This record gives sequence, C-alpha cells and structure tokens, in this order.
Amino acid sequence: MMIKAEDRIRATVRADNTHIRLLLAHPMHSGRQLNKDNMLVNAEFIQDIRCWRNDNEVLVIKCGSGTSQNPYFSFELAGGQVGDTIAIRWVDNTGAKGDMEAIVDS
Amino acid sequence: MTKITIDIKRRILIKKSLSASTIAMVATSGLLLPQRVLAHWPTKAFNAETVEDVLLALLGKANISSSEKLNFSVGKPAKRIANGGSVSVEINSELENIERFAILVDNNPFPLVMSMDFSPDVLLPLKTRIKLIKGKSQVIAVVRAGGKLYLTKRDVRVDTGGDI
Repeated sequence: MMIKAEDRIRATVRADNTHIRLLLAHPMHSGRQLNKDNMLVNAEFIQDIRCWRNDNEVLVIKCGSGTSQNPYFSFELAGGQVGDTIAIRWVDNTGAKGDMEAIVDS
Repeated sequence: MTKITIDIKRRILIKKSLSASTIAMVATSGLLLPQRVLAHWPTKAFNAETVEDVLLALLGKANISSSEKLNFSVGKPAKRIANGGSVSVEINSELENIERFAILVDNNPFPLVMSMDFSPDVLLPLKTRIKLIKGKSQVIAVVRAGGKLYLTKRDVRVDTGGDI
C-alpha cells in the first residue's frame, strides 16, 4: 500500500535570515530490511536532494540508506525576504522524482 | 475465407499493439531517464565499508584536525537512544566557508549516511535525522572548510536499531 503523504517545506524569515525546514515523504528502504513474509524489501531511497532559492542552487544533499525514513532537514540561508521562492527536487535510486516549491513567509 | 482474413488482421493488430506497448514500457521503466542526474551520486563513497575509505573517497587525502570548533549533538536525550530508526542530529559551528559536511556512523553496514555541499548562503545550525544500528556506535561529523577537514565523534548506544 502506498503511503499518501506529501513533501513539505516551511520557510520563514527569522532575524534577517531565512529558516527552512524540509520534510520529504519517502520510505527510505535500504534493501536490507525484511517484510512480514521474511522477504527482502527492494532498495528505495532518496539519493539526491537539491534546494534552490530564486533560481540559485543553495544546497545539494546526497543521501545514503542511513538517512531516516521521511527525511527531515532544517537549516538557515543568509539574508532573504518574504516572498522568495524556495524550491526542492529529489531523485531516488529507482529514478522516481519529486519537486516542491514554497514561498517564504514572515 | 472471411475468417482467415480476420485472423490475419487480428495478428497484425496484436503485433502492432505489442510493439507499441513495449516502447511505452521501456519509456516508463526508467531506462531512458537522464543518467546524468543519478551519476552525480558518489557511489564509491556510499558503498565504502570503512570510515577511512569513505573519508578518502569523499574528501580526499587531507590532514584531519580533530576539532573543538564543531558543536555536534546526536539524539535527544544524548548517549542513550531508544529508537534507532530516527535519531535527530544537529551540527553547529563558528567556522566560515564551509564547503562540505558529511555524517558517518562507524557500525552501520555502509558508514556514510549523507553528504552535503553548501553554497556560501547556507548557515548552521543544521538539523536532520539518521538511522542507527542497535548497540554501540560512533557518529562522526566531518566538515571541510577553507580546504581543511574538521572531524568530531560522538559515542551513542541504541536500544532498538533502525532498519538499515
């Protein structure tokens, strides 16, 4: 059964900097787990996450299978203002992709 | 007679629809995906099985200064972690010009958990979540800033391991 969940971005201006929180909806199977029937679950994990602010690439994250289920990241970007666009894209090892955009809130 | 022509037509139809469906299958199966995107993943570093190999593959040969400049915390509460499936990790530092940051766990089957490339805009603190295997392990944070490597380690004990 597919888990119906969405990637989420929260971006706010905090003390002149942009504070960003990402929560991606992904099972992050390492390929070494067993399911109920003692069968290996196929590997399926995000390998590459990219984050843009207004068309500038600011952060590239390469993940291995040791990243937790539903990966979470929180960090700050220097400067920025309300109304900036924060965009992310991810690709997993099977080639599945996701993208998401958010506008910076106050 | 009519039956035969219908049969032939049917065969042609089946043939045509088969080839069309195979093309569609190939197109959706990911074989035609741009390999460029996936090729950026540093396979050698992620498939390395010892911490030394990971550091060599990811950051090259460099003198590692075990640093007090990194402020690194693992788990809440630290030291004793109940659920290894999702352990929060936080890194903070006064260092400037951070280019790359990596998290490693020495006892995981493949030590490298993640590696990040920062643009000058990114500021710490940075928080994320990782999986840890059951038992004792060392979580290692490595930062490359201004051509130097800074490394710090934290010992943790996990009651229930994550699915690694």
